[in-house]
Amino acid sequence: MLYDLSLHMGYAYDTPATGARHMIRVMPMTLPGRQRLVAGSLQVSPAPDEQTTFMDFFNHAVASVFLRAPHETLDIRMQARVQVEGQSMTADFSPLLKSLPVEINNYWSLEANSPHHFLGASPRIPEDAAIAAYASEVAAPRMTILQIATALCKRIHDDFVYDGEATEVDTTPQQAFELRRGVCQDFTHIMISGLRSLGVPAGYVSGFLRTIPPPGKERLGGADAMHAWVRVWCGDVTGWIELDPTNDMPAGVDHIVVAHGRDYSDVAPVIGVVKSYGSQALEQAVDVIPV
Amino acid sequence: MTKKPAAGRMTIDEAGLGNGPAAAYSALPGVADEMIDASGVIKPVWQLLIDRLGAMSPEELSERFIRADRYLRDAGVFYRAYGGEGGERSWPISHIPVLIAEDEWKTLAAGLVQRADLLESIVADIYGEARLVEEGILPPALIAANPEFLRPLVGVKPVSGHYLHFCSFEVGRGPDGNWWVLADRTQAPSGAGFALENRVATTRAFSDIYAETHVHRLASFFGAFRDALQSRKHSEDDRIAVLTPGIGNETYYEHAYIARYLGFMLLEGEDLAVVNGHVMVRTVAGLKPISVLWRRLDSVYADPLELNQSSHIGTPGMVEALRGKALTIVNALGSGILETRALLAFLPAISRHLRGEDLLLPSIATWWCGQESERAHVLANIDRMVIGPAYSCLPFFDDNGQSVLGSAPVGVNECPLTERLQRDGARLVGQEAVTLSTTPVMVDGVLAPRPMSLRVFAARTEDGWEIMPGGFARIGSGDDVAAIAMQAGGRAADVWIVSDKPVERATLLPTEDHFSRSMPENLPSRAADNLFWLGRYIERSEGALRILRAWHGRYAEAADPNQPLLADVTDYLAALDIDTATGVPENLLINIDSAVYSASNIRDRFSPDGWLALTDLAKTARRFHEHVQPGDDATHAMTILLRKLAGFAGLVHENMYRFTGWRFLSIGRYLERGLHMTRLLGRLSAHDAPDGALDMLLEVGDSVMTHRRRYNVSTAHLTVTDLLALDPLNPRSILYQLNEIRNEVEQLPNAVVNGQMSPFRRETMRVHSGLAVLTPEMMTPQVYQQLEQDLYGLSDMIARTYLG
Repeated sequence: MLYDLSLHMGYAYDTPATGARHMIRVMPMTLPGRQRLVAGSLQVSPAPDEQTTFMDFFNHAVASVFLRAPHETLDIRMQARVQVEGQSMTADFSPLLKSLPVEINNYWSLEANSPHHFLGASPRIPEDAAIAAYASEVAAPRMTILQIATALCKRIHDDFVYDGEATEVDTTPQQAFELRRGVCQDFTHIMISGLRSLGVPAGYVSGFLRTIPPPGKERLGGADAMHAWVRVWCGDVTGWIELDPTNDMPAGVDHIVVAHGRDYSDVAPVIGVVKSYGSQALEQAVDVIPV
Repeated sequence: MTKKPAAGRMTIDEAGLGNGPAAAYSALPGVADEMIDASGVIKPVWQLLIDRLGAMSPEELSERFIRADRYLRDAGVFYRAYGGEGGERSWPISHIPVLIAEDEWKTLAAGLVQRADLLESIVADIYGEARLVEEGILPPALIAANPEFLRPLVGVKPVSGHYLHFCSFEVGRGPDGNWWVLADRTQAPSGAGFALENRVATTRAFSDIYAETHVHRLASFFGAFRDALQSRKHSEDDRIAVLTPGIGNETYYEHAYIARYLGFMLLEGEDLAVVNGHVMVRTVAGLKPISVLWRRLDSVYADPLELNQSSHIGTPGMVEALRGKALTIVNALGSGILETRALLAFLPAISRHLRGEDLLLPSIATWWCGQESERAHVLANIDRMVIGPAYSCLPFFDDNGQSVLGSAPVGVNECPLTERLQRDGARLVGQEAVTLSTTPVMVDGVLAPRPMSLRVFAARTEDGWEIMPGGFARIGSGDDVAAIAMQAGGRAADVWIVSDKPVERATLLPTEDHFSRSMPENLPSRAADNLFWLGRYIERSEGALRILRAWHGRYAEAADPNQPLLADVTDYLAALDIDTATGVPENLLINIDSAVYSASNIRDRFSPDGWLALTDLAKTARRFHEHVQPGDDATHAMTILLRKLAGFAGLVHENMYRFTGWRFLSIGRYLERGLHMTRLLGRLSAHDAPDGALDMLLEVGDSVMTHRRRYNVSTAHLTVTDLLALDPLNPRSILYQLNEIRNEVEQLPNAVVNGQMSPFRRETMRVHSGLAVLTPEMMTPQVYQQLEQDLYGLSDMIARTYLG
């Protein structure tokens, strides 16, 4: 599938912001065999005084911008054309849970896709006994890693209510778990937490999802959203598989990857430090249009 | 291991211990001792010290110890204890130094140099090619699950070519007499400054013995390190700074001390800004480049954008500056990973793999229980192990009790260690439960053996690693020699490395033939802000003290707080939140404490004398607050406090270098004094003011005598106004303050911009001239009101122009 993507993030500050520095992670990645960024552009206004790009640890090209002068609004616009192949889901060659540790221990690498980075706690996903207990209930001895992950994905989808009002961007997995409500970010954190508690390496994927309008309805402009889902390391042969707990499905050609990380803190679309008093308002519009 | 025979004790002469406090000294069974050898005979380097101690009376010895204690107290040496009651604690010195022969020290130093080089290659590999992992030497889990593995720094090569520039090591001596490394400190090693202060204090006690013993000096070590950092500057104008987490930090005193000692700036994260990839310090003269930072802040807090996002003490963009190779940071961000306890288990193999050599100096034997055979070994030998967290960056004897002896009984709610090891091995290490050597400590007038470990410092200089000849010894509080018993805390002693030849007497002072007089560097805005507010708080306290003294003096006579003048002043003070019903009101304490707080933020700019005078004022005020009653008692208390305050002000006035910092402090004082006098005159010189108000004004304005001399009339509205508002020669008049402010402002950086007066300077001039042309009869309450607004306006302007 070929897509034209556009993203607009507009910030409005109560009092003018100065000395603003932001790290922006919104541009889709090129992942051989999975998707290819054909062309992309990023515009920030007011025009930054400084703008650089660097590769982060998980191979995302981060835009770093600095705006010195006072500004009341900040607009970030991304446009990209992306060729998406989706992931190839073949027969399940993933190992049983009990043989996974050996495969992990034999993986002598620290490169970005090494499973070692995706075990244990990460900044936004502390260990959590309740989520661990919840995850262990879906794992039976004869199940493969992929079966366990798929089962957990389905269980979260079934047990949790999608509710954009229930949680915030800094809600912890524990809070969302107790509420049994939340959005894609919460479900993704909970599923990662559950998988890691079983010893299964799991990471965070931020991206875009094409939404299909109901039959007979027009697609609404800007109605799509930034999305998040899980990648699970299913052993050396299978490697990473992406599962979307919000929609209980493997990521397909409608899932466009922006960034990989251990949790939201590694991939947040905008991480910024500004000098400003009072609050800020954010509006977002996303369009995912098949070409 | 030779034990000293219990029976057949040697004669005193044979052992060389004399008949003084060491007479009955003997080592603990099976434990090495620093002073005596295995046969109980004193080691030669100790002989002189012990002979002299033996010749001293108990009174003399106690007098000597008091000298050392007094030095530490007067120098204000303290460290801050986290948690619990917090607060500052005085440095716990053990007066008897630890003496080590130079030859033995050389062996230890060579082992530490090798180790520092090894640590450098490890950290370079972890953040570089990761060969140690790829080649199967270092388990990847140990790095990937490590909170000190900072992914944004992977691939960021330090501009200096080196990650490590300053390290410290905890070393201990085992029963066989050989040294072991207990822990490596690479994050932001503390204690080098304390080692210096320990040295000074100890030599206060034993100056004569120190002079006769060939003890290696510490100064050249610091000098070489300073030179090495200087050589990393990009240009002459670049600054070197010590980066501190701030006054809340445990070792803030030391940060200030080191900065002052080496002549570096002392900065906090908010002092810095990253502009076009360069790290700059905000100063009163604008942004100035910094090219070398000696960081005393843990790496993760250094940059809230790319590291710990909740850090409030970092500098956004710091990591970007490092990627751009614009900054040398000591040690490189991420170096803390070398402190990971489990890493000790892999050092021998890594040394062989990377350098083809064995460690000259062994580490304490360590097994990472994430590996099956290692875990089995620990389980089989658990009674001889200390079990602790694998990823901890704290030494096992210093980790708030997280590490426990394998033989320790299991608590009621605890999971048995064996079970934890089976289930959670990767998070645990087993370490051999080693014992330490002992060194003599004065206990109740006699020397007794106490366990000790050494903290030794290594600095990278232009000629490679240099080991500080000395350091300090941590001394356990009891006679339990198990290293883990050091958890209980203890004392610190100086370490003397004794040569048999005279030693070089280095000093950090420049020699006469190539000195240069450079102007002080640009004042950081935050320091200027603290100086300005220190000036204001000090003056605000003085103002309050003077009015309160006048009030309580009159109250003592009238005994009626409702007397019109007293009631009026009570009302006036209430508006300033100052209460006349208590002898020493709470608000006064708050002002004085605020002055102390401002001063504590700039400790590197204060002489110990000034600091002592200020804290003494605060302590006295607090004590008075407890019991002083209104009236006579309070009048007397205010007089004492005023005298102490004048003492502080005098010390500052007599000793502070007349440069930018001085100007901000002065402007703060003048501004506050001007405000105080303006408000007071506006109220008490009004025509409807109660009887006695004018006399009180003169008293508060310390101008009774002058008034009597200068005007041949009794106090009258116009004469008092003339003297206290408009007399340019009266150091308490409003006009005098404005005159001084104007003079100081002219000398500030950027007072002239593009050939024109800065807006701030222009406004200062306007307010000053506006008052200078008035006459006493023109001074109406409305004029005072406007003047008060103008003074507040100047305060806002100075903040906007220089302090932001």
